[in-house]
Amino acid sequence: MPGDRADDVRLRERLLAGDDDALAEAYDRWSTLVYSLAMRVTADHAAAEDVTQDVFVHLWQHPDRYDPDRGALRSWLCLLARSRALDWLRRRRAQDRCHTAAAAIAPTPAEVDDGILCQTEAKVIREAVASLPDGQREAVLLAYYRGRTYREVAQDLGIPEGTAKWRLRAALSRLADSLADEDILER
Amino acid sequence: MVAHADISGMLGAWALDGCSDTEAAAVRAHLAECPDCAAQARRLRSAAGWLGMDRVQPAPAGLRRSVLAAARARRPPAAWVTLTNAYADQVALLDAALAGMSPADWRRADSRHGDVRGVLGHLAGNDALLAAELGLPAVPMPATGDGPAMRAAWRAQADAMLAGVAEADPARAVRLAGAGRRPVRTLRDALVQRAFETWTHRDDIGATRPVAPPEQVHRIAGLAVALLPAALRASDPAHAGRAWRLVLHGSGGGEWTVPAGAARVEVTIGADAVDFTRLAANRRPPGTLPHTVTGDHALAEAILRVATTLGCD
Repeated sequence: MPGDRADDVRLRERLLAGDDDALAEAYDRWSTLVYSLAMRVTADHAAAEDVTQDVFVHLWQHPDRYDPDRGALRSWLCLLARSRALDWLRRRRAQDRCHTAAAAIAPTPAEVDDGILCQTEAKVIREAVASLPDGQREAVLLAYYRGRTYREVAQDLGIPEGTAKWRLRAALSRLADSLADEDILER
Repeated sequence: MVAHADISGMLGAWALDGCSDTEAAAVRAHLAECPDCAAQARRLRSAAGWLGMDRVQPAPAGLRRSVLAAARARRPPAAWVTLTNAYADQVALLDAALAGMSPADWRRADSRHGDVRGVLGHLAGNDALLAAELGLPAVPMPATGDGPAMRAAWRAQADAMLAGVAEADPARAVRLAGAGRRPVRTLRDALVQRAFETWTHRDDIGATRPVAPPEQVHRIAGLAVALLPAALRASDPAHAGRAWRLVLHGSGGGEWTVPAGAARVEVTIGADAVDFTRLAANRRPPGTLPHTVTGDHALAEAILRVATTLGCD
């Protein structure tokens, strides 16, 4: 399956060697994922395009920053996309204190296009997030979409810090199980 | 020393970049020595990566092009650096050959272009065709026929082109230089052609028989092979679409099958790689090329004949 570890290692080596076809392949494989994540956090087309460009240009300029021992390239790109999207959100908030939340925090009903990659994954994730206990879902969505630390999550929800940490861990663990059940993640 | 249980409990927050820098550093240190936590961390981080992917939004179609262009502008692809360097090398070599020319050398006769000045004017004219394709300013040749002034103008044009192609898209379509039919190819191919023609004319002006580096010979042969099917179709429709193989030996050699991947070919032509590039430059007639033919002789003859029409003369 594309995206397994040996595949990631090969792609990284080609990127290090300056092979731009490898970058085009990475883009074709993961741009939907990266753009979707960026849209979900920023709810802004121009920002999502900028984030997508940043992510792939970063991969091209610094393939050495990706360490295959620490996870799949896909996950690394996802986290990079989220982190860049959150940076944009923070800058935007700093410019406009009254700005209301751009992205809805609750999972929104899907606007699905048929025949698009990642559709299965998106459905699994929606269902997995929806099935989390309310407290875990609130915590993990605050951390994910708002970039809140566990201490801030604790403040936001009025719960002890230990509980916030535990909820984040439990939520991700359940999500990982759901994704593994559908063969999206390895067990 | 932080307890295993503390770190383990922190992994969810860590996977979401939701702990302090000090805590994150402690987690990383622990992961390096605890395989269980490291495995758990990978699992949670992968899940976190997918979390926002609950709604699919394909990127706009036009974004691909601009992302790849932005990437190339920051870090030129290795293959492109090789090609631009190969052209730059040929420019430098020809420039060095021209630098030592006396007024008599500039007037040395050339069978195609009158004299050395004519050769340089012709080369600069073909360079200008590609410069124009790329929207770069043309550097006019001095009308006085003064050799050193022509050399300066040609060199300025070549340098402008090198600067212009550095950030260009190697895959963009351009017309190759040449008289008459100018096939549309990638900029990559056009640059191979410029290096090739510069090399060919350095030989014309009587520089010591220039030996091209093997990789360059290989690229030139590859470009010639890529141009051959269309040239064959235009000049000799009876042979169009037939399958053949070219096996070039010696420095820069290789094997090309046309159409690519054809399982069976009607003829296999064998020759020396450098000799073949001389043929493609129309610097040696097909009759003088030592070669072997296995299969259809008429097809082989047509291929070698049309190969001499590929250059820019």
